[in-house]
Amino acid sequence: MRANIWRTPTLFIAILLLLPLILTNYGVKLTSEVLIMAIFVMSLGLIIGFAGLVSLGHAAFFGLGAYVVALLGTHLDNTYVLIIAAAVISGIVAFVSGLLFIRSSGAYFLMITLAFGQMLFAIFYKMESVTGGADGMAVSASLNLGFGAIESRVGFYYLVTIAFLVSYYLLRVFISSPLGKGVRGIKENESRMTALGYNIRHYKLIVYSLSGMLAGFAGALYAYFNQYVSPDLLHWMFSGQALIMVIVGGVGTLVGPAIGAGFFVILQSYISSYTDRWPMIMGVIFVAIVLYGRGGILQIAMLLWNKLRPKRHKEEETPILPKEGNGFESVKG
Amino acid sequence: MATSILFMHILNGLAYGMLLFMIAAGLSIIFGLMNIVNLAHGAFYLGGVYIAYSLVQQNLGFWLAMIASIVLVAGLGVLMERFLLERVYGKELEQVLLTFGLSFIFADLVKWIWGTSPLALPVPSSLDVSLDMGGTMFPAYRLFVILVGCLLAVLLWYMENKTRIGAIIRAGVDDRQMLSALGINIKVVFTSIFAVGAALAGLSGVLGGPIMGMYVGIDSEILVSSLVIVVVGGLGTWKGAFIGAILVGLVDTLGRVWFPSLTMAMVFVIMIIVLLIKPNGLFGRGAHA
Repeated sequence: MRANIWRTPTLFIAILLLLPLILTNYGVKLTSEVLIMAIFVMSLGLIIGFAGLVSLGHAAFFGLGAYVVALLGTHLDNTYVLIIAAAVISGIVAFVSGLLFIRSSGAYFLMITLAFGQMLFAIFYKMESVTGGADGMAVSASLNLGFGAIESRVGFYYLVTIAFLVSYYLLRVFISSPLGKGVRGIKENESRMTALGYNIRHYKLIVYSLSGMLAGFAGALYAYFNQYVSPDLLHWMFSGQALIMVIVGGVGTLVGPAIGAGFFVILQSYISSYTDRWPMIMGVIFVAIVLYGRGGILQIAMLLWNKLRPKRHKEEETPILPKEGNGFESVKG
Repeated sequence: MATSILFMHILNGLAYGMLLFMIAAGLSIIFGLMNIVNLAHGAFYLGGVYIAYSLVQQNLGFWLAMIASIVLVAGLGVLMERFLLERVYGKELEQVLLTFGLSFIFADLVKWIWGTSPLALPVPSSLDVSLDMGGTMFPAYRLFVILVGCLLAVLLWYMENKTRIGAIIRAGVDDRQMLSALGINIKVVFTSIFAVGAALAGLSGVLGGPIMGMYVGIDSEILVSSLVIVVVGGLGTWKGAFIGAILVGLVDTLGRVWFPSLTMAMVFVIMIIVLLIKPNGLFGRGAHA
């Protein structure tokens, strides 16, 4: 069991580290984007899959983080300070908004987070004198971790890879900590956890703030990656896409959202180079997944994988997936 | 600012509120009854206005185009409910995925057929006049929209409270299982309500075309405002949608005049205040939140 836990990640890390050797410049850039999106989508996957909070305004925290780097970056050019500020400010905004929103659940929570995200979007959109309005603004801060500016695509790639691996590892630690177990307990059975004496609101608030923080962190990386930020980063359409990535990847896992992010970013870049009809194709994919591909691509891949593999491994692989198959059922309406 | 100008802004706000009411009413009832957040509801608005535009281009006349467009949009709603939504009742995440995907498909379809440049639906010639209202001129068409909205509100209120259909809907919002246990064909109720909701959104689109203009993206703006109204007004009541829509319409319009940079933000501040005081919305029944 122990060996098995380590073997796959080691292989995965090795692939990530060696990837720039075989990829083109464009491929390195695309993979960097995938990894940033994966951090963001994992942060959303955390609250959906482990706390049962389905948010449709999570891009607000991502965009906020990106704007912190863009706006503060014009005054001070310290990468550490900027990235930490982005994460902390996003986390604080998540905490304060969470104080209000956590009381609601299900579709109400969905609508409220959506509205909140749109409010932040509107503020950044309208404050033209500060944010450049709809045109967005260029990111002037340079990426420098103390040993020279990181300007090459490959250098940036390695930075993002490390950020992704650390985020993943920390989330992994979080969900197996007593705190994370409490959060999962709430998702499984809220009334039982209340009866056991857990203050479920505190738990939800902690995980929501943490998730906002991570989203802000991803947003900050994105600001450095793209060198340009626009209000679209906060828009609910972007939140919705992230939500779809979580669902497509598989709810209730950590790897799932990351895979969902990779699937969509790569597909989008591929399809967009052939046709302008990407939104329609994406829409058709969503509908098709609902109607035919229940449980997300991770689930499908796992089923195939388990079929192809020798039998003795089966039991070890299945537990990370939700029992019911896709986890949709346990989210309360 | 002169009072007459303020009065005009208020009328504008009411007209906008009425357009929002027509969408939010359907959204709220669909949500209350079927527990579906229909993220594709903005597509009905979009469908309504663009179909009407094409029909007007064919010299069909505004009113005939309006009726035809509403019927088509309602038909679209029926197809959507029968063949797609029906499969995901009770599965919240799948509903989000499905309706979100549909909103992408419809918005892109509109872009494909009608292009991306903003179009305008002309004001019907019979209403293309301005009325003298105490010294200021106000477009008659906007007054007409306010009138239609109010009439619709009265009609829906009457249906909700005085008719059998209304009783079925109220019962359904409170307890769906009980309703079907009482021998009501819940499938037919769901489909009809969905069709009515789609038709109302289509009507809002046609009536809103001459005021708001036509562009892809308006569907999501309108959807978000309508969701705020549903949250503010409370689930499953026409009354909540009506009051909420007027509130949002006025705040949005007056906000544009007084605090242009904080317009949308003010609407959401109202929502947050309402939620703090009444978590189920102003007129919410409370069973679902």
